[in-house]
Amino acid sequence: MVDRRLTWVAALVFVWGAAIFYNLIKLQIIHHQDYVQKARARQEHLIQIPAARGPILDRTGRPLAMSLSIQSVTVDPLKLPDLKLNSSLLANQLHLDEAELYSRIQATFDSRRGFLWVKRDITPLEAQNLQALNLDWIHVQPESHRHYPKGTLAAHVLGGVDFAEAGNAGIEKALDAELRGQASQALRLTDARHRGIDQQLASEGRAGATIALTIDERLQFVAEREIAAAVQAHNAVSGSVVVMNPYDGQVLALASYPTYDPNQPPASVDDAGRENHATGVSFEPGSVFKVITLSAALETTSLGPESLINCHGGVLTLFTRTIHDSHGGMGIVHMWEVLAHSSNIGAIEIGLQVGREHMYDYVRRFGFGQKTGIPLPGEDRGRLRRLPLWGATSLASISMGQEISVTTVQLAQAASVVANGGLLVRPRLVLKNNGQTTSPAPPVRVIQPETAIKMRQMMEGVVLEGTGKGARLEGYTAGGKTGSAQIYDFAAHRYTHTYNGSFMGFAPLTNPAVVVVVTLNGTHGQAGFGGAAAAPVFRAVATEALRILDVPKDLPERQPAAPALIAANEAIDDLAIADLGSKQPNILEDAGDDDRPASAIPAQAIASPAAPAPPQSAVPNFRGMSLRAVLAEAAAKGLTVQPDGSGIARVQDPPAGAVLHAGERIRVQFAR
Amino acid sequence: MATVPQFFRRTALAAGAEAPVVRTESARIQRDPFLLRTLPQEDVFFYCKKIDNSRLVREADPESRGKCWSAIGAACVALALLTGVLAPGAASTLAGYRIEVLRAEAHRLADERRALELQQAELLSPQRLEKLAQRQNLVTPLSSQVVHLDNQSDSAVAMVKK
Repeated sequence: MVDRRLTWVAALVFVWGAAIFYNLIKLQIIHHQDYVQKARARQEHLIQIPAARGPILDRTGRPLAMSLSIQSVTVDPLKLPDLKLNSSLLANQLHLDEAELYSRIQATFDSRRGFLWVKRDITPLEAQNLQALNLDWIHVQPESHRHYPKGTLAAHVLGGVDFAEAGNAGIEKALDAELRGQASQALRLTDARHRGIDQQLASEGRAGATIALTIDERLQFVAEREIAAAVQAHNAVSGSVVVMNPYDGQVLALASYPTYDPNQPPASVDDAGRENHATGVSFEPGSVFKVITLSAALETTSLGPESLINCHGGVLTLFTRTIHDSHGGMGIVHMWEVLAHSSNIGAIEIGLQVGREHMYDYVRRFGFGQKTGIPLPGEDRGRLRRLPLWGATSLASISMGQEISVTTVQLAQAASVVANGGLLVRPRLVLKNNGQTTSPAPPVRVIQPETAIKMRQMMEGVVLEGTGKGARLEGYTAGGKTGSAQIYDFAAHRYTHTYNGSFMGFAPLTNPAVVVVVTLNGTHGQAGFGGAAAAPVFRAVATEALRILDVPKDLPERQPAAPALIAANEAIDDLAIADLGSKQPNILEDAGDDDRPASAIPAQAIASPAAPAPPQSAVPNFRGMSLRAVLAEAAAKGLTVQPDGSGIARVQDPPAGAVLHAGERIRVQFAR
Repeated sequence: MATVPQFFRRTALAAGAEAPVVRTESARIQRDPFLLRTLPQEDVFFYCKKIDNSRLVREADPESRGKCWSAIGAACVALALLTGVLAPGAASTLAGYRIEVLRAEAHRLADERRALELQQAELLSPQRLEKLAQRQNLVTPLSSQVVHLDNQSDSAVAMVKK
């Protein structure tokens, strides 16, 4: 009997064990994958770790663009249990207008769309409150947002990004692949309360590269400030400045006006402020192009700076066209005078000696008619017709800077050739790419060093004796060339009375540290010529550049200022005469000569608002006066005195009679 | 079918126990009706019996003692093994929690640092600095007021250090 019961008990235990074993097999073998997948779905989450877009720095490491992580709230309106109630809840948590949010959600729901941004860039507290609600229809998503902390500074260089943080202009677009990086994926193990336990990298990402530009933030600011002031002062349409190291092609500043704030979305599709006038807009250079003509002449002909050029008394007839020079009284002059006084007929005479083939060759060698390779999208290559397409007067036109269009950065590249001894260096904007210093393209010999030196000397003559006196620097030698080209109206088929005033120059003369090219587009009247409008901008920018770069001075501290009337007269003499009356678009038929006597032009008419302010007053002689008397006299004359010591004034700095500029103080040493 | 009492009775009989006493009706009649019935447990007397076990000596049982120690040892080994197997997993889980918290903290601090860098960059923007300078009546130094120190020489550095 007992054995039978034990047998039953044993049988029961066996069946029980068998059932457990069966379930084990079922769990571990038959449905193993299903349960593993279920467990993984609950416990493991594949999360995206976004790669922050790389920052853009200036040459000294100051950030110009950077990305920040933000959190945004999205919902799927198709899955909301109660649109009205849920809208109210979200609006309350996110401090939104309830009715407006409800209408948005309702509209999305009606259009059967399953995604809606509720609010972007929420605060950490709002995110915490939403997560505490633990509602599965609310999604808090991490995002990255691009910031440009300096606002409009270097906007045309930086460009911008779209809503997906993809570059759409400037360096942001040109180096988008490097800046963007690649997001990594991680497998995150969580518990029942969604707390993270472990995390394993599923796929390796790549952080966005840090791009260091050649731009100097301070110099860029000065360039933008000066060009903006000049454009506004001369009622110009636009303007641009390029500051470049002539030896390695590093662009230290590239400013274009009007400008924009890349933090703000574009106002319209054709937002004029977003156009980069330094690289993307070409124009007829005018007289600045005579530098190329004369360089070619020095290389290919027997002409030298002292060679005599016949300016034909200011009138030249070529084929059926009569050309009037802007310097009617000039007859036979030296070649350097042709450049200094910007004689169009002299330039044409020189160009005719160079010849078509050589001229075309040197124009190409200087980099015109082709892109410079600066890493900015939308660069204009300019316009240089192929040699077979040149007309009968094309050589003459190009010799004086017409029938050709160039960009400001191309002019900077050409000026660098003269400044660095004859080598063409390509302008570059990227100094370091993710810590790796980028190497410049190998330079190409364009002109002989002797030619470059001669050109520098002649260009110094422009600043000292010619049309570019407004570009004269204090403490530094400088060379340059002015240009004032009339703008051609394609609708009316004639040249207008608006100008492209430009100046390209470098400083110091013997070992140039910077090349600065200034262009003002759409200036009016004589005050808008290159010597009057662009040269002062060169002066301000070059002075600041030389100070920032700590370039030693190569001239005594103070130079006697040139009479204002003489300087003004020289400033207007660089006009590249265009066709003012004819229907023909040829500049060589100009009857409207601007070569008027200097006395006929009032100095006020060409005074530049951007020019440095005149000296305030002369320093009085304080020697022998008491402190009280010194202070009284200084107060009466509106001067600032910095007294030192007590008793009678013995020494003063600046000395009596010196010119006191705005902001300067007079130090007076007193002793008994 | 046998009941539980019958089952025990049968097993007792099978073990050779005595037959149970069967009470008869006559025994109850013979009792004096005027006598009180005995109280329950009236015939039980308790007294303290002193038992001296001091002379008893436990018989040595090395076999059971060995089994006992073996059992204790096995339990300890099992406990150690269990701890050795489970402890790393538990520690790993706890460390995972800690690492996740620290990772989130690191991300938060990195974001905070970037936000501060952005704020610093905004505060140091040239536009803002120029406005501040204008407010303080500061002007850009003239070229004649700028003195360039010789970078190659240590004299300037030495002068500053002094």
